[in-house]
Amino acid sequence: MNGRRTEAVRSYGLILAVAACASLAPLFVGSNVALNAMITALIIALAAQGWNVLGGFGGQFSFGHAAFFGAGAYAVALLQTKFAINPWLAFAMAIAFAGLVGLAIGYLSFRSGLRGSYFALVTLAFAEVFRIVANASPFTGGAAGTLIPLRISPANFQFSDRAVFFDLLLAAIVASLCITQWLKLSRFGAYLIAVRENENAAQALGVDVLDVKLKAITLSAAMTGAAGAFYAQYFLFIDASIAFGPWISVEALLAPIIGGLGTVFGPLFGAVILHFLGEIAKSIGGRIPGLDLALYGALLILVIAFARNGLMGMISARSARTTGRGAA
Amino acid sequence: MSGTTSTTRRSVLKGGLGLAGAVAMPAYLRAQGAPIKVGVLQPLTGALAFDGAQGKLGAEAAIKIINDRGGIKSLGGAKIEIISGDARSTPEGGVAEVERMASEGAVAVLGGFASPICLAATQAAARYDMAYIVDVGVSDQITKRGLKNTFRFAPGFGMVTQQALDNLVKVNDAAGKAAKTVVLVHEDGLFGSGLAKLMQAELPKRGFEILDTIPHPSPARDMTNIALQIRSKNPDLVIPSSYYGEFVLLSRTMQQQKIKPKGIYSVLNGAASNFRFVKEFPEAAENVMDCNHWYDPRKEAAVALRKAVEASGKFFTYNTMLNYSIALLLADAIERAASGDRAKIIAALESSTFADHIMPYGPTKFVEGQNTGAAAVNTQVQGGDIKVIFPDSFANAKPVFPVPA
Repeated sequence: MNGRRTEAVRSYGLILAVAACASLAPLFVGSNVALNAMITALIIALAAQGWNVLGGFGGQFSFGHAAFFGAGAYAVALLQTKFAINPWLAFAMAIAFAGLVGLAIGYLSFRSGLRGSYFALVTLAFAEVFRIVANASPFTGGAAGTLIPLRISPANFQFSDRAVFFDLLLAAIVASLCITQWLKLSRFGAYLIAVRENENAAQALGVDVLDVKLKAITLSAAMTGAAGAFYAQYFLFIDASIAFGPWISVEALLAPIIGGLGTVFGPLFGAVILHFLGEIAKSIGGRIPGLDLALYGALLILVIAFARNGLMGMISARSARTTGRGAA
Repeated sequence: MSGTTSTTRRSVLKGGLGLAGAVAMPAYLRAQGAPIKVGVLQPLTGALAFDGAQGKLGAEAAIKIINDRGGIKSLGGAKIEIISGDARSTPEGGVAEVERMASEGAVAVLGGFASPICLAATQAAARYDMAYIVDVGVSDQITKRGLKNTFRFAPGFGMVTQQALDNLVKVNDAAGKAAKTVVLVHEDGLFGSGLAKLMQAELPKRGFEILDTIPHPSPARDMTNIALQIRSKNPDLVIPSSYYGEFVLLSRTMQQQKIKPKGIYSVLNGAASNFRFVKEFPEAAENVMDCNHWYDPRKEAAVALRKAVEASGKFFTYNTMLNYSIALLLADAIERAASGDRAKIIAALESSTFADHIMPYGPTKFVEGQNTGAAAVNTQVQGGDIKVIFPDSFANAKPVFPVPA
């Protein structure tokens, strides 16, 4: 018990230290270009944190986290534009709404016993259905999408200084890291990992598998929904293919896989490093359009080839070798 | 900073102040005749790469001409320097590039192509009070948000469709109301769905019966199903609103299946007034009508540009025409503003009465950012060339309708 407590203190301390370092970033990078790039990376990181709860800890690989991302994005946009609800309140409601969407999708698919690739396919299908509905329905603005009017004021969740938005996003990332850290050490997290490792065995030992999975998908969806709400509030425009398009489903699962599945920092590191590689490729690729994307692809292959358990896996393997202890 | 150097706090402060001053000082003050930087934003990679390259071509051609003629004369012959940006066919890609352009000292941005990119990028530019001239993006939301920095030279969706409907009735009446039934085929994105909705509301009022409305995604790889649905309905007229690839597929499939309606009348179509389509698939393209952005064939500069573009082995598309024109429009505004100051350029654009472009519009007149003089043109592919059939004032062909079997 004592050991667990010291580990917890150390882990939360690490989260705070990383956050403190990151929060200083706007002081050093004056340019909005870099700030904009970091904000985009952090939005992906937040979506990926959500995916990691269900996919990394729970072993339920979703190919359709766009459903939750889009639910959050559309909720924050529509609550403001159609119902004139304060953006801050709309933001909180959007997170709750995304969680509910997660619960509903989870209930429909887990109750039917869908596992593995079947679960992956059904989530993909849900995201696609949402995309098509949002694209056709007049309520969501149809194919023209929904535009949040540009009214820069803190009361409207719009800031003239991009650094403020960055700090808010960072606070959300810290919250997601703390939740993940709590998950890792909690009883609920242990159940979730048990389900991932062997669902039948977990059930035999008395774990309420459906309940655990439903809680996990709700939490996961709420986190990814928060990322969607941030996206909508930052770019102030969403349409069906942005909100529910496959791009975000892929980004949300790529970051944890590169960073390290089922680890606290994996999704964040994965997203930041993927984005960083993208920017490097862009600066090398320079004036030839498309070259940077090819370079990015090549870099991605190299990372996957040399870090099979993700970057966090590589780090813990190295520290295990140097200290002679097993990987934590 | 090891502390062993002889740097004093005072000298650091001095240097810092100097640096801050240099950064804060607008580029145009540094040297008379220093180049004026202009952002050219296009989707150069991703799904819209072809269109993006065509747009960039136009802007580059215009800026080269301006520089060859001695640059901006009111600024001591300052040359225009392009900051090229790749929006990667996504709104956030566009925003990232606008941020970069702003940080590199661009005074204004041109282009965007797709409406979602334009919507996001104009807002990003608005944060820096940087003028943004939209090239193609037809969504009416672009100019209806009250952004002072946003200008659209070309007609928006509402203007084009109104004209398309009016001219369709004219063509049909001239042929003794040959067409009574219609099938709508549209891509399910912003422009296709919007257009289909409008057509569904407006066509019955004008005496047409809509037999079916068939949406398809973009990109789509096979149009056989849609072609067969058209065959089973056997309409007099097919009205497709799709991007380049899908329309080419559809028209080729219809040709292979020998589906021959009395006419194909498209609106803002990606292919119907595109020389690439006409050249690569002349039989499928023959007699296809379109209502779209098109150059004024009476203007010498337009004909010269077409020759130059075709001589370089490229296709002369509306993206090229529009971007060429908006680059000239911006240069005129900078010339009149006699300054690289962003706010002054916006003011100059607001009062712009620029007529030296290659579109059939007359002098520009911006009301809430929309050029009210803008108008689309009806074209028809005839004898392997794209002819203008409306407006009458500069039409170089008569409509062929109904198409002889």
